[in-house]
Amino acid sequence: MSVYFPQKKLPYLLVLPQLVITAIFFLWPAGQAVLQAFYREDAFGLSQQFVGLENFVDLFQDPLYYKSMVVTMVFSFSVAFLGIAVALWLAVMADRVIRGRMVYQTLLVWPYAVAPALAGVLWWILFDPNIGPVALFLDRIGLHWNHFLNGDQAMILVVISATWKQISYNFLFFLAGLQAIPRSLIEAAAIDGASSFKRFWDIVFPLLSPTTFFLLVVNLVYAFFETFGVIDTTTQGGPDGSTNTLVYKVFKDGFIGLDSGGSAAQSIVLMAIVGLMTVIQFRFIERKVQY
Amino acid sequence: MTDLVLKNIGKTYPNGYQAIPSIDLSIEEGEFIVLVGPSGCGKSTLLRMVAGLETITQGDLLIKGNRVNDKEPADRDIAMVFQNYALYPHMTVRANMEYGLKNRGVSKDERHTKVMDVAQMLGLDELLDRRPGQLSGGQRQRVAMGRAMVRDPKVFLFDEPLSNLDAKLRVQMRVEIRQLQRKLATTTLYVTHDQVEAMTLADRLVVLNKGKAEQIGTPMELYDKPATTFVAEFIGSPSMNLFDAMLTERGIELSESLTLLMPHQYRGAIKWGIRPEHLLQSDEANGDFSLQVQAVESLGAETLIHGVLEDGTEQPKPIVVRLAGPHLPDIGSRMWLTAPLKHWHLFDATTQQRL
Repeated sequence: MSVYFPQKKLPYLLVLPQLVITAIFFLWPAGQAVLQAFYREDAFGLSQQFVGLENFVDLFQDPLYYKSMVVTMVFSFSVAFLGIAVALWLAVMADRVIRGRMVYQTLLVWPYAVAPALAGVLWWILFDPNIGPVALFLDRIGLHWNHFLNGDQAMILVVISATWKQISYNFLFFLAGLQAIPRSLIEAAAIDGASSFKRFWDIVFPLLSPTTFFLLVVNLVYAFFETFGVIDTTTQGGPDGSTNTLVYKVFKDGFIGLDSGGSAAQSIVLMAIVGLMTVIQFRFIERKVQY
Repeated sequence: MTDLVLKNIGKTYPNGYQAIPSIDLSIEEGEFIVLVGPSGCGKSTLLRMVAGLETITQGDLLIKGNRVNDKEPADRDIAMVFQNYALYPHMTVRANMEYGLKNRGVSKDERHTKVMDVAQMLGLDELLDRRPGQLSGGQRQRVAMGRAMVRDPKVFLFDEPLSNLDAKLRVQMRVEIRQLQRKLATTTLYVTHDQVEAMTLADRLVVLNKGKAEQIGTPMELYDKPATTFVAEFIGSPSMNLFDAMLTERGIELSESLTLLMPHQYRGAIKWGIRPEHLLQSDEANGDFSLQVQAVESLGAETLIHGVLEDGTEQPKPIVVRLAGPHLPDIGSRMWLTAPLKHWHLFDATTQQRL
């Protein structure tokens, strides 16, 4: 549907504030990053030298960059998978609750209101090898927990912290999706002799697939780009880069390593990935499965 | 042989609301029973109790002699057609029809044969690979019936299956359902709020009001001898004319100046009823009473005349007359009518029961 304004200038005036914000907070810094990606700068920011594509060449020859890519993939897919699976399970359970339904649902939504950094701190304390109750409990059952030394454990910690928050979001969508499935379909399946397990996998899960696919994309984007706070407050990418995701690496190389050129080149690559994911999102989600 | 027996069946919700106090009903094999009543009368609840989708809180439900109160819907050997059809939207027509057989471990070849048989019977063979979303309302309705028939259950349950169809298709499907049921001779329990559907389909019908069975009988029994004023008004369209009256030694006193002569033992307040189609046009010399015409509905084959009874009182008493063929009385004019005695219905004013 199209809307036509008789005035010529008013529409532009109305979108101007948004355009200004986009220009100042996105286009300008993004442009700066593109420029910086082609320069090498000294650590104090006093001199610049044009180096062409050298920053990109260095980047793609750096084994640490590939390691970070693998870390990001493992992290993102774990967060997306875990977040979706747990949220779906909780939503199915919540859908069955009759008494105290509102209380239950509200409590499950609360974690979404917690800032990522706070979520990180919360789990960091719970898992602290010296004082964290979870870590102490794990120690007692013979599982030595120290995410400062063990890379796999560090990964598990950031995955849990990042997932915990996202579960609430996924939960809301799944609950709405479940409630949109007509009860009579489930009843028809029951009369057709399907056990509750079969009813879920044959009827409910396929009907939720548009929701599931939407959440998969949203969760991947979240894990890719919005988990800086979680990682910064828990592991800071360590130990030995085992939780150093692409986004965190941009920050670390740029602000701690003071390699602004290399960092800028990395953010260009990230921008390309964001672009790709946006295309996927529009292509598939806008045209999601219709029944 | 009785197929389906409802013995003192009742439903009380946990919050204490009694949806159905108690119903007794025995259904013969192959019988078509229609549960009819206004919305909220408990007819769907009763059907869902038979299906096993609602718990039965009182009484026994027997299918072929076995008590099935505590059995899962799948183990009761029933099939149900839902009001919104409840087809699985992500499955093809074939998969929809097969699903119940598949869950019961029927072999692939047998499933194929059964689905093809039913699909041919219903004219669905061309549509087997389509999804429900690609079908028209009437076709979906057929698939829903096919899914029930494929299983060859002991009892069919229909929950207002025609209410989502347009008027013409509804008449067509109504006839088709009746023919199929005769052919398959499967015991059927059918819920509707539409009295025309109820009258045309039923071997026997159960008129429900507030969870109670007002009357159980064949359509003509209910039409000729309604047991209560509720049944009298519910069955027949337009509904029966009912008037408050006193039965005295003089006859039926509709008002001080209007009395219909009738010898009867009973004395006291009654309701006097006559169906619109049983009133006959007459003249001043022979008429029992007159009405003042207020509206005329011409339907071609018949004419409905709405008016008020002229009984010498100020209180307007609406009355409807159904005359064959076209008639065009002036609005406000007087029309004389006779009411043949054999078509009178008398009900006790307090108990609402037939006298």
